[in-house]
Amino acid sequence: MNATYLRIDLVRQLRDGMYISFVIALPVVMYLLFGTAFGASADVVGRGDTRLYVMSAMAAYGASVGATSIAASAAMELLQGWGRQLALTPLRPPGFVATKVVVALSVSAVGALAVMAVGAGTGARATSAWVWVATFLVTWLGSSLFALYGLVVAQLFHSESAIGVASASLVVWAFFGNLFVPLSGTVQQIARWTPMYGYAGLARWPQMEGRSVTGTHVDPLWSLVVNWVAWAAVFAVLATWATRRGRARQ
Amino acid sequence: MRVRWTRTPSWVKVGAVTTSPPALSLRGVRKVYPAASPVVAVDGIDLTVAAGEIVAVLGPNGAGKTTTLDMVLGLVAPTAGTVEVLGGAPETAARGGRVSAVLQSGGLLRDLTVGETVLAVAALHRAQHRVDVVMERAGIADLARRKVRACSGGEQQRLRFALALLPDPQVLVLDEPTAGMDVGARRSFWETMHEETREGRTVLFATHYLEEAQAFAPRTVLIDHGRILADGPTAELRSLVGDRTVLATVPGADDDLLARLRAVPGVREVHREGDRVTVNGTSSDEVARLVLTELGGHDLEIAAPTLESAFLALTGEGQSR
Repeated sequence: MNATYLRIDLVRQLRDGMYISFVIALPVVMYLLFGTAFGASADVVGRGDTRLYVMSAMAAYGASVGATSIAASAAMELLQGWGRQLALTPLRPPGFVATKVVVALSVSAVGALAVMAVGAGTGARATSAWVWVATFLVTWLGSSLFALYGLVVAQLFHSESAIGVASASLVVWAFFGNLFVPLSGTVQQIARWTPMYGYAGLARWPQMEGRSVTGTHVDPLWSLVVNWVAWAAVFAVLATWATRRGRARQ
Repeated sequence: MRVRWTRTPSWVKVGAVTTSPPALSLRGVRKVYPAASPVVAVDGIDLTVAAGEIVAVLGPNGAGKTTTLDMVLGLVAPTAGTVEVLGGAPETAARGGRVSAVLQSGGLLRDLTVGETVLAVAALHRAQHRVDVVMERAGIADLARRKVRACSGGEQQRLRFALALLPDPQVLVLDEPTAGMDVGARRSFWETMHEETREGRTVLFATHYLEEAQAFAPRTVLIDHGRILADGPTAELRSLVGDRTVLATVPGADDDLLARLRAVPGVREVHREGDRVTVNGTSSDEVARLVLTELGGHDLEIAAPTLESAFLALTGEGQSR
């Protein structure tokens, strides 16, 4: 990995307008809207309050959009010939991947931290400090699932719009992932099978331990882990298949 | 099918006195892309380029030029045969910056600035100290702060050229470097290139403009359907396909007049549409003199030979694409 190359690539992502609006501004604004609306009474929920609950949801949303958009843009770079340029330098493919992993982790960390900083500043409370740390770590590292998702979408769409499609479609998964509105009944039964459900449940685990905020159901830890692992496997297989298909077409 | 129009070209002797390995050596190289009906992009190419040579690879679209250059750069592995660059594997030479390239399209990140792009690639080559030099030489020093997406096609091509110069390569590969440029940008690009080759670099460039081969490359390799049709000094290619087209308006042109033109040695074909007369052949000077001084013609034009006429002369078949 090359420090100068990494810095230029990171700065390029951080000044991208879509990155700023989708990864930082949108989750922060949604936290301020939902967090204030639902959390006006600062009810105690699990190991925190309603604001913390909304905050970790929006942090998870921001982190996953960050991971998705970086992965999709990395795939687009290669599709559009930057990979050919890099092949004429000492940078090897593992070096490229390592650089992008660092960029994606940085961006998703910024997305999660932005929401959590605003949360801390507007009165989100947890019973202990480790809840904050654990929520951040799960949110941050768990978002790598959506890096795979970004790769799949980029390989399927083969154009610059792929990055927008990948990021915007996360709104749907976030809805089914229980991030925006507490789900119950049939919708919740369907939602359990969607890609963001496991990730969102795990990100909230430090606070909620699988209980729904409305008290309608409890998700066991193993079911959330299985959801995350299974979707990671599905996206990994799809990404490999789509990459092969794209290569054969050239 | 393969035409050699000179037995012992002068460049062979130049190559023979040096003991270092040739800059490029391709032996029996084939490239087949697997598909339902496999595509044979390169169908048996043998080519040796000595250090310091400037060689044009001339051919129509789909002739196998890009695939051949990609194999020289180690971007594509040959299906059969061997490719050596400076006596070693192409990938090794490319990673070490001993061979570099101006790639035909893509290859740039549109949301970086020109300066950032050069710096990023320079950092990978550990050649940051050359950033200012190559930007100056490629003529993009003034564009450092401009976004790549805001650059014209010619400016982007100059940027690719700057990237190619960064590792100070011994072998420079250019894949249709002036495609999509207007005439002015094309001329200015080649003027810049001339400067760079004075340092004894080996240059291999693909083009489908015969004029570019003539203006810049002492040696031309003519390629079509993945094979080398001809390989030799460009000047001899020019005389071999010396056909030029003379067009003129000759008032009252009749069959006798056409017969007089046909009688000029070197004339192959004469046509007439109304008063507009078209003469094809090698003796454009004589034809022009005759038309202007004795036949009372005016509005005379002489067109240079084209790639199509080169193929026609060498293969006796028209270019179908």
